[in-house]
Amino acid sequence: MILFLPTFAEPQHFSFFEKLLFTGLVLASAYGFWRRFGLVLKKILKSKKDPSFHLFPIGKRVWDFVWEVLCQAKVIRERPLPGLAHAFVFWAFCAFALVTLNHCAVVFGIGFLSPAGTIGRLYYYFAAVFALFCAVGIAGLFVRRFLVRPKWLGARLSWESGFIALLIFVLMATYLASFFIADADPSARTLWWIHTLALLTFLPIIPYTKHLHLILSPATVFLSRGSFAQIPPLSGDEDFGLVAGTDLTRLVSLQAYSCVECGRCTEHCPAANTGKLLNPKEIILGVRAYLNDLGPSSDQPLLGKYNQQEAVFQCTTCGACEFQCPVGIEHVPILVGLRRGAVNTGAWEDQYGSKLFLALERGSNALGISPAERDKFIQKQQLPIFDGTQEYCLWLGCMGGYDPKGREIVAAFARVMNYLGTSYGVLRKEKCTGDPVRRLGNDLVFQQLAEANLEALAQNKVKKIVSICPHCVRTIQEDWKEYGTPPEIEHHSEFLARFADKLPRSTTTATNPESFVSGHDFSHAASAPNSPGALAPEVRSSPVPAPAASHPVPEKIVFHDPCYLGRYRNVYDQPREVASLAGELVEAPRHRERSFCCGAGGGLSFLGEETGERVSHVRAAELVATGATTVGTACPFCNSMFRDAFDAKGEGAPQLLDIAQLAARGLPPGEAS
Amino acid sequence: MKIIVAIKQVPERDAQVRIDAAGKWIDESNLQYALNESDAYALEEALQLKEKSAAAGGEVVVVSVGPERVGQTIREALAKGADRAIHIVCDDLGLRDALGVARLLAAAVKPENPDLILTGLQSEDLGLGQTGVIVAELLGLPHATLILNVEKTETGLKVKRELEEGWFQTIELPTPAVLTIQSGGNKLRYATLMGIKRAKMKEVRQLTAASLGVDAPPVVVLEHVALPQKQKSTQILPGTAKEAAAALVEKLKFEVRVL
Repeated sequence: MILFLPTFAEPQHFSFFEKLLFTGLVLASAYGFWRRFGLVLKKILKSKKDPSFHLFPIGKRVWDFVWEVLCQAKVIRERPLPGLAHAFVFWAFCAFALVTLNHCAVVFGIGFLSPAGTIGRLYYYFAAVFALFCAVGIAGLFVRRFLVRPKWLGARLSWESGFIALLIFVLMATYLASFFIADADPSARTLWWIHTLALLTFLPIIPYTKHLHLILSPATVFLSRGSFAQIPPLSGDEDFGLVAGTDLTRLVSLQAYSCVECGRCTEHCPAANTGKLLNPKEIILGVRAYLNDLGPSSDQPLLGKYNQQEAVFQCTTCGACEFQCPVGIEHVPILVGLRRGAVNTGAWEDQYGSKLFLALERGSNALGISPAERDKFIQKQQLPIFDGTQEYCLWLGCMGGYDPKGREIVAAFARVMNYLGTSYGVLRKEKCTGDPVRRLGNDLVFQQLAEANLEALAQNKVKKIVSICPHCVRTIQEDWKEYGTPPEIEHHSEFLARFADKLPRSTTTATNPESFVSGHDFSHAASAPNSPGALAPEVRSSPVPAPAASHPVPEKIVFHDPCYLGRYRNVYDQPREVASLAGELVEAPRHRERSFCCGAGGGLSFLGEETGERVSHVRAAELVATGATTVGTACPFCNSMFRDAFDAKGEGAPQLLDIAQLAARGLPPGEAS
Repeated sequence: MKIIVAIKQVPERDAQVRIDAAGKWIDESNLQYALNESDAYALEEALQLKEKSAAAGGEVVVVSVGPERVGQTIREALAKGADRAIHIVCDDLGLRDALGVARLLAAAVKPENPDLILTGLQSEDLGLGQTGVIVAELLGLPHATLILNVEKTETGLKVKRELEEGWFQTIELPTPAVLTIQSGGNKLRYATLMGIKRAKMKEVRQLTAASLGVDAPPVVVLEHVALPQKQKSTQILPGTAKEAAAALVEKLKFEVRVL
């Protein structure tokens, strides 16, 4: 049947002059390409080797390559329409590899894919389908860039992108048009030459523009650091993080040159969306500009002209940028690397940052409170001390041990564990895991904290840890690995979800049962997260009357995914399962992988007032708009940020409860030990 | 300007202090140590003075008395920016009185011929507040205490002293001099990884009481140390309500002094 369909026309003979011209053009085009690409490659290869890089295990790399590059899954999933349009272009390029090779070969009479043969004919039709989709796709992308103009693409119109789109369109159009003429027709030759010229013009443009991602990003995706937001260890006595060009590693340089400037990172960045200086795309382009101007052997500082210190310290390390990036750029290690460079050399001067560092140099917790306060809390709450016989070590963390709201969460979680008959104990002494200093780039204090904690856990023979704080969980499990082998650890959402079927569902009330059960009324605690009193323990022991019997009200709960539980740990369903014990779940517009940060991460909850809008207020407004009567959290930092945001809102703010508190709601009264 | 900073290593503020078996000193096992707070401010003041007159050059030398573990605190001081250190190794610091320690410090500092000697106002463990002053006396130098701020002048120094109830006193004195520094006058800097790595290459000279030729028995002998007793006492005031109330007011006024 295919014989009735038109045949692809290609010129049969080429004159000596044509052969000469073609050869000359190919050489010129290849030279134009290599002139720039060779330079880029040299800059990447001349960068420092990544000290901790291992190609193995290779399985995950292959999978990422197949899924993200070949299937274009990330490109499509996060922006379906333009993603699909891009995928059509990409798949057409793949399909065209053979066609293009043959296109060039026919000049010298060594064509291998005859449009008249059965296989050739089939393949040409196959490619034609892709060409059709590609033409539609590239036209769509053109319309998007030049007419729709989403702000993430930047204020400047990229004319070279328009030109590239035109070239791709011409390539596809000439290919498709060739089906409608005969081989002998002179216009076949014309079409062939237009196709050739478009192709040879396209090639040298690639390395000069963001279209370099065509060549680099498959490698970038394949050569990732191996896990999400992974902070590489420093190597040797002269490595303080990303200080100058000599500190840029091959992966950083490769990633900087891979950026396709799509702006997805910026679109999802909590800092960029609340009027701050930080724009993750510009950070990557700043590194690229540095490499272009100065190269990887320069000892000029990375921060200053090309990237700004202020911007770098506005990152909450929520990882939305890295998660979204379709070309495999790992923003978090780069941003943290720049911070390390500034902090490890003492270049960063910030009164709140210094205060945090000094508190952790000398003391045990990030809040700068006396550990005696933690002891008092443990006594008052009658938390058992870990003695090696219990199954779990309940890690309190700074928030669980010192913050009034964090303590409520611990109290609720302890109640549930008591109910379930789980044996657990808390350490007599605990130091901060080092999460905020790790993310702010203070490797000295981080190392001290990690080593002291690892030693204490080993001395106490701790095998399993459970914690209410995703930041503690992440830091203990991943970041401490640099200094030893941490015990197994899980987040309380994972623990609770495992026992969800053993926990009673609650007939919901609008009152907070915790204040009754724990015997403390924390509701008057100071609440501005950055005020000195905010995190001070304010335990009132005045007896609180039992809540009046209230009618069950339909409870709508919106769960906020903490960055360090979701994107960092891939835990999305467990906290929802737990929260649903207490009511009906609704979702915020941005949830699960696309959850919007509360603003606390990356040590930022300890720094001064934000510029622009507060991240926490933006997210809180989004949660309130769902109409939920309760906001469920699974991180004491998120909780603290929203507590402040809701206080600012005043009347009508929803109730704010951790999933542990939601799980404890249904327990019979008096279950506390 | 060559500045000597005398620093002391003290138990960490959060440490749970226990008394040793003999009751003569604290049990030092399992104890975490840190730099005495006002000494940290003395070091900060010295570093800032050096940085302000960077063109003129200068040197900050830390000196400390104590056992091997003091080396850790000395390294931290070097990491924050001190140029070199003198460690007077001595295992019986608990038995030495302020005069004894000051004699060791004075003997070690004297050959250095410094322009300025700074130290913290007092230590967080014994809190005698005398060592700096005695060093000045032993070296025959002028001194000033409770200093919040030091300024270099043409002829010497202008310093700000903290008095009671929010009053300050500004005085001038010639150099060389000894100043004891009050906490809170400056913002402390944080230790950096680069500082710690660089500190490894800095000189720490170890001396002993014997090598300094200082060996005199203490003038003040520590009898025993004890933890403060927690006391709770209840007193019933007898009499009629009126008499009891009058007695209560009396006690609140003159015994508890809250009225």
